[in-house]
Amino acid sequence: MVSLSSYLFISFALFISGLAVMIARKNIIAILLGIELILNSAALNFAAYARFVNQNIDGHLMSLFIIVIAAAEAAVGLAIVIRFFQIKETIHIDDATQLQA
Amino acid sequence: MDYTIWNVAPIVLLPFFAFVINAFIVKRFTSLAVLISCGSILGSFFFAAKIFFDFINKFSENYYIHKTFTWFDLSYANMPFKMDMGIYIDNMTATMLFMVTGVAFLIHVFSTYYMKEDKRYGRFFVYLSLFTSAMLALVLSENLISVFIFWELMGFCSYSLIGFYYEKEGAGNASMKAFMTTRVGDVFFLFGIIAIWSVVGSVSFVDIYAAIAAGKFSGLLALGLPLATLAAICVFLGTVGKSAQFPLQVWLPDAMFGPTPCSALIHAATMVAAGVYLSLRCYPLMEVGEITYAISIIGGITAFGAATIALVQTDIKAVLAYSTISQLGYMVLGVGVGSYNAAFMHLITHAVFKACLFLSAGSVIHSLHDHHTHAHVQEMPRMGGLRHKMPYTFLAMLCCTFAIAGIPFFSGFVSKDRILGDALLMATHSKWYWIPTILGFAGAFLTAFYMFRMMFLTFFGEPRDKDLYDHTKKEKISWNRNIPLLILSVFTLGLFYAGSLTGQGFAKVAGERYEWFQTLITKPVVSEFSSRTKQAFSFSSTPSGLNFEKSQYDSSHGLSEKEAHHVHTVHHIGALVSIVIAFSGVFLAAMMYLWRKWNPGFWVNTFSGWYRALQNKYYMDDLYIKVLIQKGLLKLNNVLAFIDMGIYDRYIVDGTAFMNRVFFTVAKTTDDVIVDGSVDLTGKSVKAFNVILRTIQSGKIQVYFIMIILVLTGYIWKLSL
Repeated sequence: MVSLSSYLFISFALFISGLAVMIARKNIIAILLGIELILNSAALNFAAYARFVNQNIDGHLMSLFIIVIAAAEAAVGLAIVIRFFQIKETIHIDDATQLQA
Repeated sequence: MDYTIWNVAPIVLLPFFAFVINAFIVKRFTSLAVLISCGSILGSFFFAAKIFFDFINKFSENYYIHKTFTWFDLSYANMPFKMDMGIYIDNMTATMLFMVTGVAFLIHVFSTYYMKEDKRYGRFFVYLSLFTSAMLALVLSENLISVFIFWELMGFCSYSLIGFYYEKEGAGNASMKAFMTTRVGDVFFLFGIIAIWSVVGSVSFVDIYAAIAAGKFSGLLALGLPLATLAAICVFLGTVGKSAQFPLQVWLPDAMFGPTPCSALIHAATMVAAGVYLSLRCYPLMEVGEITYAISIIGGITAFGAATIALVQTDIKAVLAYSTISQLGYMVLGVGVGSYNAAFMHLITHAVFKACLFLSAGSVIHSLHDHHTHAHVQEMPRMGGLRHKMPYTFLAMLCCTFAIAGIPFFSGFVSKDRILGDALLMATHSKWYWIPTILGFAGAFLTAFYMFRMMFLTFFGEPRDKDLYDHTKKEKISWNRNIPLLILSVFTLGLFYAGSLTGQGFAKVAGERYEWFQTLITKPVVSEFSSRTKQAFSFSSTPSGLNFEKSQYDSSHGLSEKEAHHVHTVHHIGALVSIVIAFSGVFLAAMMYLWRKWNPGFWVNTFSGWYRALQNKYYMDDLYIKVLIQKGLLKLNNVLAFIDMGIYDRYIVDGTAFMNRVFFTVAKTTDDVIVDGSVDLTGKSVKAFNVILRTIQSGKIQVYFIMIILVLTGYIWKLSL
């Protein structure tokens, strides 16, 4: 029997790995990937709570929203990365310290 | 016959605007500047002539124009402090205006000949215009303050003109001497104005006359003297300075450093005439102050003393300068003996013939050019025989010499004889008046002698400097050289001034109108001025703006038949004596310098002590410079300088500086340590905080992530407790 805590454990592992990627990696695309992992962990949490606690489809709906937002966010994020690359010719996060080009 | 302000104002304003335009606008265009100056003075001559002939046509001493406006009014409660300015025109003013503008115009015209080659030709006309306008304004003034203002303005102009050739050695000193010497008189004049103000509360001539009539001066004492005497002395000392009377005459001969036309202007129409004009205007004050005897003494001494100095001068302009002082002495003598009318007449006649004499001298000097030194020659010993070379100048100068020497039928005789006749009349009444009278007659003898000496040395005999004589061009008549001289010389005839050609006491050949001078110029009777009211200025162009007024003036002199007979007898005797001494003076001069029968050297050797004294001008310059200035004023100056530099500067000024330095040190320490320290502390603390904040705000997004997580973790941890 797969219990709620199993889901939460996986979700926690996803979150921690996403966070580790976000903090540790210097590549902007890797950081975006880390953000995707964190979003996924949140979506998994919603789905799990919807299945085991509320017994309705609100949580599932939230998961779908998160997927859509993640897609939109990835598009925007990648667009920013491309612009950033055009200007700086690098995608190293430590070069992105200024608000102005 | 009614005037607006625009009939009177242009007399002063035209030359003044000419001055402004020439001085500030057309500087470079010399010929235009000359044209503006001459044109403006000609214009003001026409305006003055209209006024003059209107007054003559009225032919009464009663008419006057008196207009004032309030300059400032600072009175409060019962303390009146109000100053009016305005114009006062009576017969005397009108005559004066006519003479000043006429003579000044001719001098302007002559200057275009004399100053033509000068490098400061334009500037000369700037000064001439200002000088003339100041004199005209002074003549028109209705109160002593405005007289004083224009008086000082003329002092400035004479300073500038005397120092005109400032490259010449001595010109600067001469101009300073003239300015400072007249300044002595001016200071007293100012004191006099203050004294009058303190009594009358106004300085208008009319108010002064009214106050004298009301007896406001009686019983007032100041410094142990009656106040009226004090005021009169002070005002008269102004005249002494300006008109070069006895103690302060030293500046006038030095004024010869200026260009000759400016000497003509200073000596004839403007500067020195102003002093006599003032003392005539203030005559009632002199009378009430009872200083007329002192005035006559001063006049007599000046007339005689200056004439004696003129005997030994060799510079043609110096002779004329001393003759000016001497003639001014006659005018002042006239004021002193109550010969109001004749003193003023002598002022006018003297202005005409002295202007002509100076211009003639200028004409002579200008034509005599030394080819070795490239300078003009003024020394009479190098002249002689010049009548062949310059006949027109000779003619003009001869007429004027006749006039100044008192030859009958010429103007100088008429006026001088009347002054001397009045002096003689006073002497028959009071024996003390014999002193000025005899000085006056002796001066008249000397005048005839030295003037003809000058004529004989200059124009007669053999040329003493052959080279100079041969290089002199024969005079051709030219409009700006001879015409002014000839016009002026025509007016040296006596018939323009008096009906009886020879002067007082001889048969009148024409109607009473020809005695216009005697009828129109009368002593102000003070009681007539009590009822006069001032009229306000109006700038409207309607004729009612400025009209003639008539005073209730009684001109009858109230002489009984016996007195009148006495007066006539005395004047007859005076006239005869004048004629005799004038001709004997001419005869003596002719014996010495024309026919060479008597050797002047004999007199020089016999009276060598006197001769030296005369050559040194009675040592008065030395007295003033070596004794009064070097022994007195300079010592005083040193004491004052010691007080100023040794005490005041050293202890008060430097002490203040020292105290300031101490305070400065204290203030600087406080400022540096406490105020600046606290300011700096603010800055430093901000800076330190800034270091912390800057470290956090690295701009690295991952650092922000970490911080967010830490904060969230901490928050969650706190919630879970």
